[in-house]
Amino acid sequence: MIDDDVLATHRQELRRGSVVLACLLVLQKPDYGYALLEALDARGFAVDANTLYPLLRRLESQGLLTSEWNTEESRPRKFYRTSDDGIALADLLTRDWAQLQSAFASLKDES
Amino acid sequence: MTTTLTDRYVAATLRRLPARQRTDIDTELRGLIADAVDSRLEAGIDPADAEAQALTELGDPVRLAADYAERPLHLIGPAVFPDYSRLLVVALSTVVPLVLVVVTFIALQQGRGFASAASDAIVAAVIAAFQIAFWATALFACIERLPALRPRRERAWSPHARGALPERGLDPATLIGGSSVAAVIAAVLIVLQTVGPVVGIDGGPTGPIRAGLWDSGALLIVGFFAVASIGAAFAGHYVGWGYAQATGNAVLGALFSVPIIVLAVSGSLLEPFFFRAIGWPGGDGVVAWIIAVLIGLLSFTDIVDGFTRARRAK
Repeated sequence: MIDDDVLATHRQELRRGSVVLACLLVLQKPDYGYALLEALDARGFAVDANTLYPLLRRLESQGLLTSEWNTEESRPRKFYRTSDDGIALADLLTRDWAQLQSAFASLKDES
Repeated sequence: MTTTLTDRYVAATLRRLPARQRTDIDTELRGLIADAVDSRLEAGIDPADAEAQALTELGDPVRLAADYAERPLHLIGPAVFPDYSRLLVVALSTVVPLVLVVVTFIALQQGRGFASAASDAIVAAVIAAFQIAFWATALFACIERLPALRPRRERAWSPHARGALPERGLDPATLIGGSSVAAVIAAVLIVLQTVGPVVGIDGGPTGPIRAGLWDSGALLIVGFFAVASIGAAFAGHYVGWGYAQATGNAVLGALFSVPIIVLAVSGSLLEPFFFRAIGWPGGDGVVAWIIAVLIGLLSFTDIVDGFTRARRAK
């Protein structure tokens, strides 16, 4: 039986980069932090609020997301949207992901 | 009423953020917390619990602020840690033995007893070690936080770089061990010479080294070259070894060993009265030859080794 901590660490390591790609894909339609958190959660991406919110700011400072304040609703919300650079990166990462998947599949076929 | 907890949480986070980020994150964070609370209220959770749960989910404000500010949550990170530990090892292993010897020597020169001199030296060595550890840590903690301070330090490691292959006489453990042994020998010699238990014919203390030679200070100069060559070996270990370093090593080695060998062989290094007083008349001649041969052999192998390393490093 694998130790719970070891298991959690390995799963976290494997998922680490996937949240960035998921954000870039979801945010091609503008959205705000909490809604994005729920959208990711609903699709099975386990991400903590305190990881996601700083991540959005970091992606914005890297020019992969743009943001805009929306003051029309009950409370002001910061809406993020994937920039052109972000879309290009999402395409690249999606291809990498597909390559990894087929590479894993071929490994399983060999064994 | 229910806003107080959120207010305190947001204030605790903002306090740890740079001023330019505060207003924006203030508004956004409050909105995000309010969204989280609302969604819990819709699920039928009690208002006070809903707020506490939403804040618990965000976690320690110290961590959240560090994440927002992209600040490290460690003192010295993996990028600079190897250099940090190298600096500590080199500084501690050279300075601490040196402080021990020098402070003992000065205390003895002032006519203090051996016990008092030794305790002074130990206190000084401990203080020196703490100072080195503190300042090295402070320096590297700053380097970790100010990327501008580490310009080209992160050059790629390659198997051709120094330290990739185990090379005889180059590993820090040997260097440190050698330096420590040298420091201990120097300390013993100084003690024997200045307050030694052996009484000479003139009634004063006499040491194994001829008094005239000792008083002239000529040995200090020779000792300086020995220390310099240890320093050069350490430097060579960290900046890399080449023919320049090998030549420097040879010159320093010769400056140290040739005078000692000449003095020993000509019989002007050791004090015959000392050996007579310890019950080994004529011992000075035997010891002088042993010293001459040992130093000659050690210097010779060290010089040859230096050039061998330089050739291999090419």
